[in-house]
Amino acid sequence: MSEARLPAQHEVTLLELVDRVLNKGVVLTGDVTLSVAGVDLVYVGLRVLIASVASLEEERA
Amino acid sequence: MLYLYALTEHPTVLPTGTPLTAESLDGIDAVVGVVGDDKIEPTEQAILEHARVVDEITALNDAVLPARFGRGYADLDSLERAVAERADSLRAALDRVRGCQEFGLRVFSNSDEALSAGGSGREYMLGRLEARQRAERLADELHAPLAAVARTATRSVGATPHLLLSASYLVSRDAVDDFHAALRGLEDAHPELTVACTGPWPPYSFATAEVETE
Repeated sequence: MSEARLPAQHEVTLLELVDRVLNKGVVLTGDVTLSVAGVDLVYVGLRVLIASVASLEEERA
Repeated sequence: MLYLYALTEHPTVLPTGTPLTAESLDGIDAVVGVVGDDKIEPTEQAILEHARVVDEITALNDAVLPARFGRGYADLDSLERAVAERADSLRAALDRVRGCQEFGLRVFSNSDEALSAGGSGREYMLGRLEARQRAERLADELHAPLAAVARTATRSVGATPHLLLSASYLVSRDAVDDFHAALRGLEDAHPELTVACTGPWPPYSFATAEVETE
């Protein structure tokens, strides 16, 4: 477990937004849904983005 | 295809200058936009756009159930059937969120103590168990004063020594100041913790009838 670094507020906000929009909210039946693979890609993209922001900040510090 | 942004109480105030329509279905309005093709690509841009439209609708209406991203309907008939199927629970959910905002909370521990448990395998496991129990007690202690000022709250189960609490609170607009006061109280009482509060959000976490609340 390498989790000593604490997430900055804006990273938490972005993750919380994506979590809400993708995983919460009303779901009705009979809709046209997304492919799960596509959603995973968004998550991977965000995590990569957040990881790179974090390492940039560490370099600056 | 009709793309669903939110369900609201009739009559709905729509943001000006947008091509949205509110389809009235038995007292429940479905706020939809027409999208050209039959595929919704889950790009970061599309997700943020969905969030922006839901924000606008929420700012103008008192009771809004945000839709999950990426829900499209072939035509008005299929949307109407989908709403009618769950009309009662949707109306109850609209009642619940009326006049409320959602706040998200994550509380992180700054302590590395849980990770440095040494000794034998047995001691290590006991140490881990104890740390987890301590984390759960602390999470309850943090959650209670916030839940007390919220209309309802939902919490993801299982505190860990690092991420102590991950929760959402549905707070009446009248009680937002009280909620923030309770939050400041926790921050003052626990300088060793990092408290990350986000919001106000549209009530995404309280928009489903099945949401587990406490």
